[in-house]
Amino acid sequence: MGKIVFNPNLCTGCRACELACSFYCEGIFAPSKSRIRVVKMDWQGVDVPTGCEHCEDAPCMLVCPVKAIYRDEDTDAVLIDCDTCIGCKECIVACPFGAIHFDGRKGILYKCDLCFGDPECVKWCFTKAIEYVPDVEILSEKVRAKHASKVAKAGEASRKLATL
Amino acid sequence: MEEKLGGYAGKFLRVDLTSNRITTEPLSRDLCENYIGGRGISGKIIFDEVKPETDPLSADNVLAIFTGPIVGTLGLTSGRLNVSTISPLTGIYGNANTGANWGPELKYAGYDGIVLTGKAETPKYLYIKDDRVELRDATHLWGKGVMDTTNILLEECGHEFRIGAVGPAAEKGVLFGSIIFDFWDAAARSGVGTVMASKNLKAIAVRGTGGIEVARPKDYREVAMEGWQALLTDPGFKTQEHPALGTMVVMSWENALGSLPTRNFRETYFEGASEISAERFRDLYNVKETPIPAGRACMSCANRCKRFGKIQSGKYAGTKGNIEFETACAFGSKCGVSDLAAVFHAYMLANDYGMDGISCGNMIATFMELYEEGILDKDKTDGLDLHFGKADTMIEMIHRIGNMQSELGRLGAKGAYHATKELGNGASYYTSCIKGMDTIGTDPRGAIGFGFGFAVASRGSDHLRAHPVFEMLRIPKEIGKELFGAEITLTGYEGKPQMVSWHENYAALSDSMGICRFMHASYYIQYPIPELYYKYGYRKESPHSLKFHDWLAVTTGIDMDYEQLMKVGERIINLERAINLRVGIRRKDDTLPERFFREPIPTGPAKGRKVDKKRFEQLVDKYYELRGWDKKTGFITEEKLRELRMDDVLSELKLRGLLVSGQHSAEISGVKVKKSEKRQSGAKKAGK
Repeated sequence: MGKIVFNPNLCTGCRACELACSFYCEGIFAPSKSRIRVVKMDWQGVDVPTGCEHCEDAPCMLVCPVKAIYRDEDTDAVLIDCDTCIGCKECIVACPFGAIHFDGRKGILYKCDLCFGDPECVKWCFTKAIEYVPDVEILSEKVRAKHASKVAKAGEASRKLATL
Repeated sequence: MEEKLGGYAGKFLRVDLTSNRITTEPLSRDLCENYIGGRGISGKIIFDEVKPETDPLSADNVLAIFTGPIVGTLGLTSGRLNVSTISPLTGIYGNANTGANWGPELKYAGYDGIVLTGKAETPKYLYIKDDRVELRDATHLWGKGVMDTTNILLEECGHEFRIGAVGPAAEKGVLFGSIIFDFWDAAARSGVGTVMASKNLKAIAVRGTGGIEVARPKDYREVAMEGWQALLTDPGFKTQEHPALGTMVVMSWENALGSLPTRNFRETYFEGASEISAERFRDLYNVKETPIPAGRACMSCANRCKRFGKIQSGKYAGTKGNIEFETACAFGSKCGVSDLAAVFHAYMLANDYGMDGISCGNMIATFMELYEEGILDKDKTDGLDLHFGKADTMIEMIHRIGNMQSELGRLGAKGAYHATKELGNGASYYTSCIKGMDTIGTDPRGAIGFGFGFAVASRGSDHLRAHPVFEMLRIPKEIGKELFGAEITLTGYEGKPQMVSWHENYAALSDSMGICRFMHASYYIQYPIPELYYKYGYRKESPHSLKFHDWLAVTTGIDMDYEQLMKVGERIINLERAINLRVGIRRKDDTLPERFFREPIPTGPAKGRKVDKKRFEQLVDKYYELRGWDKKTGFITEEKLRELRMDDVLSELKLRGLLVSGQHSAEISGVKVKKSEKRQSGAKKAGK
């Protein structure tokens, strides 16, 4: 159950992930060919990394009329089989994250394939705004730990208050 | 057929606004090898295409916007772009640099640069989407602020577009107009925005869906990662002071050193510095609450020095944007204002009007001092109380200058150099201008090498031509000795010409490739500095370093070693010198304002310091010697130009009688363009 976790709060908007992705997947530096995209909202001063969430109940997979979208057994990534794909682009419309793209020159649809379990973009994100979690169970463990430490701190504070 | 160079888009746009003609031109391999890109190539275009007699605000002036070969790739800090022209503010070579995403977008659209000539009859904006390039009507944008303009164009063209726009100040003829890219990133110095507006061009909107190929893709990743690691493992970076607080952190550093210009340049220690510090900005206005408070980065950069903040309540509620040190210093300590909200608001006002915040802040600070000294009469100020520290007056002055309203506003629009000249009565003494350009937020008396860098900088007083913070950091003395032949100290004179010329060459190179100054002249992560730390035992393991030569080679396929690349930097410095020689710059112009020689610093940690004129002149002598320039006139020697293989520059200078031979450098005669006349022409335009 692998997944890339996006944390917009840690994103600086440097777009190294986009460059790394397009270079790794296409051999050129072209953010418009990247599977991961940083939505830069300069006016608000906010940068949000977005990409495929490899949904469990993936809308793209559901709407594909020729069943070209499938789940990889090893990485659990949602992938497109280009040979079966007819290019109807229904998946682009269905995806709630805008994570599926169409390459007009090649005439194919493409999306994040998690680099088969070793995503390149993550290696270039040094603020950890995007992180690859091979097993999502670890995620909830992390959240639990964070929550617990907050509770512990709150407990400490209330004890201090009580002794005043 | 010639092998295509990697990295480059390979062609640039030529847009003639007079005839509405848009063409593309190939970028020759020769030009790329000799001048690399960015500052180098745009400078060469200015040298080749603008006659020295040209009025900077006429249709004959050229505005060249160029990126570099590494721009838009994964290398560290690859988001820079350069704008070159002949400056209306100074009358000499004008250049401005900025970061972020506009430059890369231009390359993805398929162009390394844009050369703008002529003048449109009605306001236009340039629309670029890949192959589709057109001049569109901009009458509905004319007169609008930069923020509105950018928002409207994003709606019109699409939110994927990157916008560079000028503001109403530049349209009206304020001589220090800036071009603001994507709301917050300014190419501001030298009045490049005023030149763009004088062509009736309001904005450039760019969207590119193509990509950049590099020459050696197999090696590229490793070289790029080495550069990133050089920064990430650097001890200075690891302290996280700069990334966490942004450039504003310099406020307290400079104040501690006693080199923070205060109340114009009267003092160098500001008692209110902690009120307008980076920490306070973080605590009061930063938007995101994260371990990296609101840190935003230019393309492909780990340093994230841009601070984004918003004022939520009070008088200036709604003010938002990126804040940087230089402009904050100009509106803060230089004007004696310790109200951070007012400084932040002033900064964003200047941005919205499209004015260089440094020049604007300096102008107001100069007026304030002239007012206090009694040189600026009350009848000239329309009742404004221009004492230092008056935040409301400062804000009112920004509106007046930006709109060129009232006598003082019109005067201020000409910049401190022209304004004080016009005022007379000894007013010029109170400006910090060198070659017509205002000095930034470091007092030359507090940092000798920095000050020396201002004096010889090619765009007039400027820290970024050299940026020798080497003297301010605690860098082991062995490294200074090895690189510059002397132990480098903050207040010493030894080794400073070597230090400044080395920094200048590196800076010219990095501006031409498209790299940020902070990498090679703040963190010093570039070859050979980390290697020297290791050599002298200050680093345990063999360190990572940013190797410009490797980087250029894997990107473009141009194989040059470190020495050869430094020669390219030197060539660019000499090219800019040649442009300046043609418009009348001589040795006498390579100096500091009299004040820094005469007045010792009155207060603070650097109390009593001033620049020793005799020793300073010796620095200039030594610097000229290193550069191969004539000590008497400041001309470039024929030998130097031959050594740098700049034959076209050589014949042009010879034609104009601006050349000496190293052996007979005493005898000079030739055509001289009167600089005072040239500068006047720009000022007159502004005043009409």
